[in-house]
Amino acid sequence: MKFRFFLSEAMNSLVRNWVMSVAAMVTILVSMFVLGLGLIIFFNFQDVISDLRNKLEIEVYIKSTASQEEIDALGDEIRAMPEVKRVYFVSKEEALERLRKSLKGNEDVLDALSGNPLPPSYEITLKDPAQIEEVASRFFDNPLVDNTPGSDPPDGVKYGGETSKRVLRVTTIFLIGGAGFVVLLVLASVLLVSNTIRLSIFARRREVEIMRLVGATNWFIRWPFVIEGVVTGIAGAAGATILVLLTNKFLVDKVIKNMTFLFSAGAVPVFKLTLFLILSGTLLGALGSALALRRFLKI
Amino acid sequence: MITFDHVSKIYEPDIVGLEDVSVHIERGEFAFLVGHSGSGKSTFIRLLLKEFEPTEGTITVAGRNLQRMRRSTIPYHRRNIGCVFQDFKLLPNKNVAENVAYALRVTGQPGRVIRRKVPEILQLVGLGDKMYKMPDELSAGEQQRVSVARAFVNHPSLLVADEPTGNLDPDTSVGIMQLLYRINRAGTTVLMATHDREMVDKMRKRVIALKDGRVVRDEDKGLYR
Ligand SMILES: Nc1ncnc2c1ncn2[C@@H]1O[C@H](COP(=O)(O)OP(=O)(O)OP(=O)(O)O)[C@@H](O)[C@H]1O
Ligand SMILES: [Mg+2]
Repeated sequence: MKFRFFLSEAMNSLVRNWVMSVAAMVTILVSMFVLGLGLIIFFNFQDVISDLRNKLEIEVYIKSTASQEEIDALGDEIRAMPEVKRVYFVSKEEALERLRKSLKGNEDVLDALSGNPLPPSYEITLKDPAQIEEVASRFFDNPLVDNTPGSDPPDGVKYGGETSKRVLRVTTIFLIGGAGFVVLLVLASVLLVSNTIRLSIFARRREVEIMRLVGATNWFIRWPFVIEGVVTGIAGAAGATILVLLTNKFLVDKVIKNMTFLFSAGAVPVFKLTLFLILSGTLLGALGSALALRRFLKI
Repeated sequence: MITFDHVSKIYEPDIVGLEDVSVHIERGEFAFLVGHSGSGKSTFIRLLLKEFEPTEGTITVAGRNLQRMRRSTIPYHRRNIGCVFQDFKLLPNKNVAENVAYALRVTGQPGRVIRRKVPEILQLVGLGDKMYKMPDELSAGEQQRVSVARAFVNHPSLLVADEPTGNLDPDTSVGIMQLLYRINRAGTTVLMATHDREMVDKMRKRVIALKDGRVVRDEDKGLYR
């Protein structure tokens, strides 16, 4: 019954102070839109980056002198490592088949070869690509590995070496930078929105003072303002979400489809993004109102 | 009803609002607070409402020591004090009935009670036909009657008025005075700060005179002088 009163108070003042209400709504819309765009960019880059990182793998080449039992035992040993996500065994025949495919049209050079000189190998993908060097080093001294004597680092184990380190370093910087950028956007929107709401409440500080003098408790005064903030927040965030989703669709349709080598269409978790934007807008409106009101409730 | 015991109020940095004021007002009394501009009348009333703390001394209202009152109970304290101000202090976005109803709403009265009491009290102050007007559609005297109605609708034991007739012409002032008089007759303690010499002299009630924050005279059935 009290809630009905608070709700009607909130609605009345939304309508009566409509200029301020619209201003606050647009502010929330703009900041949520910018935040949403930031997140879309962030998700796409994160996707590209994790793709890049997943392409990092260790190849362990095995001596042709190794017996099938030794090869299987090595495979079991690799599978038992907790860091390993996936192991794939490339037989001599498959290796040759792959080479033939990659030579497309020039297959005849293979005819010059006598038999199959390619060694079998294991391809290892890790759960965390950052551990690639550590895991790779475990095979350096393994007697089964097909090292050219005296090579350093041993050439029977391939893991990208410097390149993989560089990929890891650059992508980490990108991820941290991207997350920092998103945090900055969040802070900026909080500041922007709370400032707008403060202005709108400042214009009504006399009303708040009167309410206090008539004997209203702080929460009695606060509730309508908070509800007003929630309504403003939901409205602004809903608008922003629509714009963000349209932008995302446009990006997927026009840009990403033509760049599938780089981006994948499903990089943005649309449902989560929507939920996040609506909730943040609502929270922003409610908290902004409650906080902006604080200094006028001191009387 | 009201006891000021050696109360001083010094505003920052060193402006004297009240200085060593000791006053006792009985339940049911009608008292005028008079004095030149800046003599401390509003300070006295704002201390009563606990808008701020005295620098020294103790204030008791309706048996409760204001210094010991927690911030969270201030609203309940104010519901027992109806207040009327020179500038009316009506909520600009609410109509007459809603303004009066607000004082009932804050106490959690059900809508049924509100719908009965509001027209009743507006009838009493002679605004039965202006219930749905907005404050800026009323004359000053009518606005002040709304604010008296709002102050009295909870039937508080104390009603304070800070120059309630300060913005009104003499005839309208008489109307407001009569309202306050009737409210007092019904048992409510009334304290009224005023500049209105004629009114004070006509009423012959208790007069507490302030000068530079001090009580310089306190007499029953007094004159403005
Ligand atoms: N908020 C404040 N900050 C600083 N000084 C103040 C404040 N309010 C009042 N004063 C000073 O305290 C003194 C008493 O002021 P007060 O408002 O109580 O006078 P008053 O008798 O109500 O005057 P008036 O008849 O003009 O309303 C004055 O000197 C005034 O300047
Ligand atoms: Mg004054």
